[in-house]
This record gives sequence, C-alpha cells and structure tokens, in this order.
Amino acid sequence: MKIVACYNIKGGIGKTATTVNLAYLAAREGARTLVWDLDPQGATSFYFRIKPKVKKGGAGLLSGKKELDDVIKGTDHINLDLVPADFSYRNLDLALDDFKNSDKRIRKLLKPLDTEYDYIFLDCPPSVSLVSENILVAADIIIAPTIPTTLSLRTLDQILEFCNKIGVAHAKVFMFFSMVDLRKKLHKQIIENPPDNVRILKTCIPYASDIEQMGIHRQPVPLFAKNSRAGKAYEALWDEIKELS
Amino acid sequence: MASAHCIQFVLNQKTDIEHIFTLLCQQYASHEASHIRIQRQYLDSFDWRLYHGGYVCGMDSHGSAHHFFICHKETDNSTYKFPLDKVARFSHDIRHKSCRQLLDSVLGIRALITVATIHIKRRQLLVLDKEGKTLAILHAESYSMTGQAEDNSIPARLMVLPVRGYKKAFKQVVQYSSQHLKLPHASSTLFDEVLAATGQTPAAPAIVQKLTESLNTREALQILLTHLLSVIQANEQGICAAIDTEFLHDYRVAVRRARSILGQIKQVFPDKVLAYFRQELSWLGTMTGPTRDLDMYLLKFDGYTQELPSGLQNDLIPFRQFLQRHWQVEHKQLCQALNSKRYHKLISEWQRILTNKPDRSQAASNAIQPAKQVANQRIWKLYKRVLREGAAISEQSHDEELHELRKTCKKFRYLLEFFHDYYADEQIKKLIKTLKLLQENLGDFQDLSIQITQLIRFAQEMQDEGLAETKTIIAMGVLVEKLTARKEAVRAHFEECFKEFTSPSKRAEFTNALSPHHQPGGMSV
Repeated sequence: MKIVACYNIKGGIGKTATTVNLAYLAAREGARTLVWDLDPQGATSFYFRIKPKVKKGGAGLLSGKKELDDVIKGTDHINLDLVPADFSYRNLDLALDDFKNSDKRIRKLLKPLDTEYDYIFLDCPPSVSLVSENILVAADIIIAPTIPTTLSLRTLDQILEFCNKIGVAHAKVFMFFSMVDLRKKLHKQIIENPPDNVRILKTCIPYASDIEQMGIHRQPVPLFAKNSRAGKAYEALWDEIKELS
Repeated sequence: MASAHCIQFVLNQKTDIEHIFTLLCQQYASHEASHIRIQRQYLDSFDWRLYHGGYVCGMDSHGSAHHFFICHKETDNSTYKFPLDKVARFSHDIRHKSCRQLLDSVLGIRALITVATIHIKRRQLLVLDKEGKTLAILHAESYSMTGQAEDNSIPARLMVLPVRGYKKAFKQVVQYSSQHLKLPHASSTLFDEVLAATGQTPAAPAIVQKLTESLNTREALQILLTHLLSVIQANEQGICAAIDTEFLHDYRVAVRRARSILGQIKQVFPDKVLAYFRQELSWLGTMTGPTRDLDMYLLKFDGYTQELPSGLQNDLIPFRQFLQRHWQVEHKQLCQALNSKRYHKLISEWQRILTNKPDRSQAASNAIQPAKQVANQRIWKLYKRVLREGAAISEQSHDEELHELRKTCKKFRYLLEFFHDYYADEQIKKLIKTLKLLQENLGDFQDLSIQITQLIRFAQEMQDEGLAETKTIIAMGVLVEKLTARKEAVRAHFEECFKEFTSPSKRAEFTNALSPHHQPGGMSV
C-alpha cells in the first residue's frame, strides 16, 4: 500500500482535482484505491456525489480502525472508495492533540488497511497544522501542485521548511506545475527555470475549462473528456507518480 | 468495493426477465438502466488451483474492452477487476502487483487455461439517490453457452450488488426481490452452474489409495503404479498443448518414480516384464529429457540475465532465441513419441500388469510377501547405502560420486514417500525433512554441474550454427564463470550438510523409525 498526499499550504491550486483524477486513474487500472477527503470544505466528496458527513465526526473517526471502516463509502467507480469529508474536520487538530504520538495518528489509523488497498490518496486542507503534519508523516509520496508564480514558489519553500521542522525527508516531496497557462510569460519563464531544491515531476497540468467542468459533471476528467488536454495531462502525471512507488 | 455479499436470485424459465426488470425500474424512481453483452472466459489451472483455493478467475470481453477479474468463489465478491489487453497465461503476465502476488501464491508456475466460456446478456439497473449517486446495482442476466441463442442450460439470475457504505439501500432491494417479486435465492454459484452445464467437476488433487498392512508386495506395487500411470496420462495432453512446463515436469517425476519402484522392489514381476518396463521407462526418460532441459534453461533465463553485469545482459538474447528454436524441435519430437505405437504399447502393457494376478512360479518371490516387510527391508538398506556413499566422499572426490549419492537419496526418498502409510505420520515427515536438506545441496550441485557443461556445449553449437556473435559467447562465458563459483560454494557446503544428516540425533531418528531390528517407537516386522 502506498499513501499519496496531495498537499500545499496555498488553496485553490488544484489539489482536489488532482486527487480525484489521480485516484480515478489508479482505480481504473485495477489498483484498489481509497481517497480520504480531509478538507472540511468537502469538494472531493462533492465530486464523487457523496454526502460530506461521517458518523461520530472527525474525533470519532480517529479512535480506531472500525470507525474508519464504518464510514468508507464505495464511489461509482470500480476499485475506488472514499472516506468522506465532514464539517467537524475543521477541529481535527484539537482531536489529534488528544492522542499520544499525535503526529503519527493518521498513519497508525491507515496501517491496517495495508492489505485492503493498493493506494490511499489524502486530499489535504490548505494549512500548516497538526493535520498537515500527520499527513506529511503518513505519506509515502507527497505531491505538491504549484502554480508557476512567484508567490506559489514561495509557499513551496515554506512546505520544505515545514518538512525540515517535523523531520519529513525532502526525498518524498514532489512538485508539479498546476493551472499552467503558457500564454503567460511568467508561467513560461518559471517552467523553463524550475526551482532546484525539490524533485519536480515533468508533467504540467494546464489551466483548462475541462477541469472546472468536473463540478458540473461531478466526474473525473478522463471519464467525461477522455481525449482532452487536461485528461491526457492527468494520465501522464499518474504514469510518473506510479513509477515513484 | 463491497462489504456485504452479492445476493443472487434465480429467474426460472417461467419468470419473464423483461417483466421483472420493468417492475424493478418502476420500483426505483431514481435509476439508470442499460444493457450490455459480455463474453466471459473462466480461467483456472489444469488442476483447478484457483477453484480449490476459493477463487473464480476470468476475463470479461465487451466489444474491444477486456477486463480481468478474480472474485471469491462463495460470495462472488470482487477481489480484483482491471482492464487487460489479452488473456493472461501466467501470474507474471499480470502487472498489478498484489493481484500477481495472489496468483503466484496459488498458481506457482502453472498456466491459466480457459475452462469454460459463456455469453452473458446483462440488463443493468443502478439505484440512485437524489444526487445521482449509486446506492445499489442490479444485474438481470441471461446466459448462453454458444452465444448463438439463449439456451436454458443455465437459468437466468438477478444479482443484487452492494455498494460499500450503503447497506440500507441494498437491504431494501434484496427485500423487494425476495418478498415482493418472490424470487428464490440461487443455491449455487454461477460458476458451479457453468461447470455443471459443461460437464466439468473440479477434481480434488489425486490421492493415492492407502496401503494397508494386509497387502502383499505385488498388490501394493499395483496400487502405486496405478497412481503413477494416472499422473502420466493426466499430463500427456498438457505436454503436447505446451500449456505450461509443469505438465512435463510432473510427467517425468512419475516416470522416474515408476522406474525407481520397479528397480528397488525386486522379484515382484516376472523378469521379462521387468526388463521390458525398465527399458521402456528409460526410453521415456531419455525422450522427455531434452525438452525438460530446455524448459529449465528458459525458466531460468531471466535469472541468468540478472547474473550478468547490465552491459552484457542484452548480449544473451541470441542464446534465448537459440533455446526457443531448439525447444520447438525437441517438443515436436516429444509429441511424436507420445503418439507413437511404441508409447501406446507401453501404456497398454502397463494397464495389463496392474490387473494381473501373480502365478505359482512367483510363490517364493517378494510378490506374495507382506508389502510392509519387503518395503522396510529395502528402505533400511537404502538408508545404510546413503550413509556409506556419503561417508566415502572427500574434498578430492569426483563430481560423479556426489551424483551417485544424489541418485541414492532420491530412491530412498521415493520409497519413504511410497510406503509412508507403514510409518507414523509425524515421524516420516520429520525424516523426509532432514533428507530434503541433504538433497537440496546435492540437487543444486548437480544442476549447476549440468548447466555449466551444457552452456559450454550450447555455446559451441551456436558457433557451429553460425548464430553467435563474439559478444554472446563472452556473455555466456561470464555466466559459466558465475555458475562455477556458485557450484564451488555449494560443493564446499556439502560436508556440513552431510554432517548434519549423520548427526547422532538424526541417526537415532532414522534408526528408531526404519531399522527392522529396532522395535520401540518404530515399525514392528
């Protein structure tokens, strides 16, 4: 089982779209896949048409494997399940803080799913918190979508600093460019001269209306726009990521 | 993925499948209906390993889309389902890691073969909530064996598939189907019905008839030779169809065992009969040898490649092509031999001796002696011979001496296995385990010796055939060097293995169990 976390401190940079599309592509190939929508906004759950609600809330969920098992929902796609979001996740930091080894709680919770799933994708809320710390510790691979802009690159540095602080190896952090618009000079320049302090995935996800259309179709891009530029880009990104594991 | 099990109902001939489906569509206001035609190939090994392991495996084809699947036999719950371009033959054809591991653990190196094909006409109904999310899936399926027209050999079914986390909706659909539609539950799985319709029974692995103490030696040998003949015949078709390499392997083991038992337990069959069988079984061994050798090289080929530095690995490709070409020639000859008059005569003679009664002239021979007594005397002699031959081996001994010891160990092991019914089960298992350790060392040594000799011969043949570039010969040379180093290491380990085999505690175990003169805890004769 590999845990892939899609994380960035910054919001609105395509984390949820990335998680949904990559998880779908993994499941389509036959990998038994689980997505945990950890963002209280519940956008991933929305895309899968699943109510963003878990029994006993976030705090209850953290108490053991049975609780996690009980809230897993099958999506409409073969091999793909979801732990839905819940509004109570906004207080997940406090709930985590009650546990011994609070930074490793999520990893401990996921470990028993080792034989049941090949991949677990974590869709993370945009923050620096105990939840983020848990996610970074639990993940085998951390993918950080980054818009090719100065401010986004600055957040990337902050992620690496955060990793240093909590003892997470930089080797498991991979950045890729997201919402790329090559008509913009700055985007082009940054892609041509990417940062050298982090491992970079070759695939760039374009700024495309097909990705925005996910909210209308409530489906992953490769399902409703198989041959689109965005669909192909997610496929290429997944091809790269699965080779990392 | 589903937490509850798929529930299946039978739609008998009187039930109108369209009518039922219409009722279901009316019952669930929010739904999505579709239909699809699927051709399903069920896959298993020749000896039904997946079936006996509790799995059903197959390939569903719908137009140009193909999906490989494995599900649990009893529940029909899907374990794996993913697209695959063509039917997998071996576990290593599957890229999906955990699925490959599962298949590998069940199949080993056995091939998957198509055991049945059915055509499915499926009407699908998705029960949705107001957000359009699927809560339960219904499949109304009718089946045909030919694909031409729906026949009645397999009754149609309604399958209710749960979606994980939506138990309530699932229960409601199941309840509606059983209580309102009054559909009976299916009493057997679809796969079992398909097998029944195709007249197949996945037989459990063949078990040799138990040897009782009242048997004389001839009767015991007839039981053992009957089993060995059944193994030989069961593998003939798989050898000729080249399904996997295990058919030939199992066949050769059975031939070797038959040779061994006829050679070791003497004065049971008339000399003339014995001479005929020894000659013909030796012929079978020789005739099947080259193909098996080439099978082994091809199976080991990836390992050979890994032995070489990465820069030399591709240079070995012509060697693989050489092996494959020679395999085709040898396999063709083997199939011809298995279809020859000589072979058929051997099989019918074999069948004849299994039913013959001993004549008067054999009254004084082993034939009418108790099998238990004759077997034990021979087993004990073989044990003493293993000790004698092993003790004579020194650092200076020729390879041939180790080879002889290996053959004696094999004969000893075969007899222990043949006549294990005459010993305490746990005791004999323990002895075989100890013997196996010594055999592994001797087996590795012999395999490496043969591989080295053959590789040198193959390299020469490739040069003679003008097929080998210098770089291929160099790569093969490097391989020979690596194998020689391993052979020397295995040879050096022999002394320790034999020392362990002859340790006082192990000797006591063998003596206690096998010595005809030792009564307590062992066998009394």
